[in-house]
Amino acid sequence: MKFRCERDALVDQLTASSRAVSNRGGALPVLTGVFLSVDDDVLTIIGSDLDLTVRSSLRVTVIDPGKAVVPARLIVDIVRSLDSGAVEISIQGDEAKISGGRSNFALRTLPVDDFPILPQPSGNKVTVTSEALSYGLRQVVMAASSDDARPILTGVLLSAEEGGLRLVATDSYRLAVRDLPDATVLNEGQKVLVPSRALNELIRVLGDADEVVVRLGDRDVTFDVVTDIGSVQVTTRLIEGEFPNYRQLIPSSYPNQVVVAREPLLEAVRRVKLMAREATPLRITQKLNTLELMAITQDVGQAHEEVDAIYDGEELTVAFNAEYLIQGLEAATGDEVVLETLDALKPAVLRSNSGGDFLYLLMPVRVS
Amino acid sequence: MRLVIARCTVNYSGRLDAHLPEAIRLIMVKADGCVAIHADGGAYKPLNWMNAPNRLNEEEDGALWTVTNEKGEKLIITIHEVISESSAEMGTDPGLQKDGVEAHLQELLAANPDLIADGTVLVRREYPTDIGPVDLLCRDASGSAIAVELKRRGEIDGVEQLTRYLEFLNRDGNLRPVTGVFAAQEIKPQARVLAQDRGIRCLLLDYDEMRGIESNELKLF
Repeated sequence: MKFRCERDALVDQLTASSRAVSNRGGALPVLTGVFLSVDDDVLTIIGSDLDLTVRSSLRVTVIDPGKAVVPARLIVDIVRSLDSGAVEISIQGDEAKISGGRSNFALRTLPVDDFPILPQPSGNKVTVTSEALSYGLRQVVMAASSDDARPILTGVLLSAEEGGLRLVATDSYRLAVRDLPDATVLNEGQKVLVPSRALNELIRVLGDADEVVVRLGDRDVTFDVVTDIGSVQVTTRLIEGEFPNYRQLIPSSYPNQVVVAREPLLEAVRRVKLMAREATPLRITQKLNTLELMAITQDVGQAHEEVDAIYDGEELTVAFNAEYLIQGLEAATGDEVVLETLDALKPAVLRSNSGGDFLYLLMPVRVS
Repeated sequence: MRLVIARCTVNYSGRLDAHLPEAIRLIMVKADGCVAIHADGGAYKPLNWMNAPNRLNEEEDGALWTVTNEKGEKLIITIHEVISESSAEMGTDPGLQKDGVEAHLQELLAANPDLIADGTVLVRREYPTDIGPVDLLCRDASGSAIAVELKRRGEIDGVEQLTRYLEFLNRDGNLRPVTGVFAAQEIKPQARVLAQDRGIRCLLLDYDEMRGIESNELKLF
């Protein structure tokens, strides 16, 4: 196998595929590598940990077709370290030679026959506008859990909702919901749970792409994205299980509603958070037309700031995890947000004052 | 174990010479002969010590201790005033249990087999097989045997281990058919897939909940 291509494009595609590569390989050491195959002027790069598979492709000058598996992390580091310009990769026996400019590398390959045959994507193709999906995913993915102890919460729920698509994610401390009214991906009543890790990779590859083609299989989902330099296909196994019934947590009305400018509140929370150390919560006191923010860390110090708001309810203090509040404010849209609370121990809702399709449910932190 | 709190001076003579001026210190003489001199601070490291084997000679009515090891190194303790002295028989130490949580999880699940499935009863902890004991053997409500392998972190290795136990247990006509339950505080996705592929049920364990500890954290679910 031998081919030549531009270093910058190769780095992008190698990086995309290598993100799916398992760090340790587990039972299959060959999975610490990326599978390269060249044929018909196209280089295909596959990285997989069997749960997530990323296939990227790139037009190259093929000198000799063939296939090989090379250590993923090493080849990414090597190609990235080369100067911009042409890179040539050739495989001779069990050695891969990489050259660019005046640099030459040789590295041992992994046994190509050990690389598992990965199933081809299945399901009907549905084309979705990339920009809306990418933005919607960014608004909710951050709320998904990273704790494997509760695998269902590590996924994002995709459900058909009134002719559109609803995205929901929660780590049990907050919950983000985003409706995409114009995205018809699922059949009526259908819902699937997609690992947030795969969706984070999808967000990366969506970039400036116009469209994404979605194929939903029985046990997996595939996203195909065509980029400026080639194409990337992300396939992930779906998470099996029942997502928690989140609808019951969202009260139809709240007694306390504060309307506040989003950006000034976000900046104030970021400042006050500097004193919310070691899991110390940030306290918000709702007063007449004012939000008072306060953080006190024992033996370190305290921060206090007031933000103008529209509020005429009873004085109420609610404490939140500052980082979760920041992520909710960043994900919300519009100039103003509404913070709705019941009491200091019940979940609060953050949403845009101009309506919109985003809702963020945030659990308070108990304080003495 | 002999413990002496005394105002003392200590001199060490060996690879290098060291001197501890007069002060109140704790002198520990362990059953195996180790002698350690501690100040009233620091977690574990003594100011000076002499490992076993050694010889302890007490002279001048206990006011002068000389500890000599096989290399001829000497620890000389001059005791000016004994503040307290006591001895106790401590017996053999059971050693450090590296993974007390896993053992405790087994104990807790054995005490509450309903967590595996309603109506489940425990047959035996550490049920022996030819290749080692499986953590728990139970019977479900219908009387069918269940083998349970417990881990803190459920990885592929644990599923493989349970698969081997099941193979042996299913050779026993009195137990057959034996189904498997892979129980852990955390189960890796690949282990979960492998377990499902082999018909083994995965069971997530909440250690705090099993211990009856209620979290102070407020959660949505």
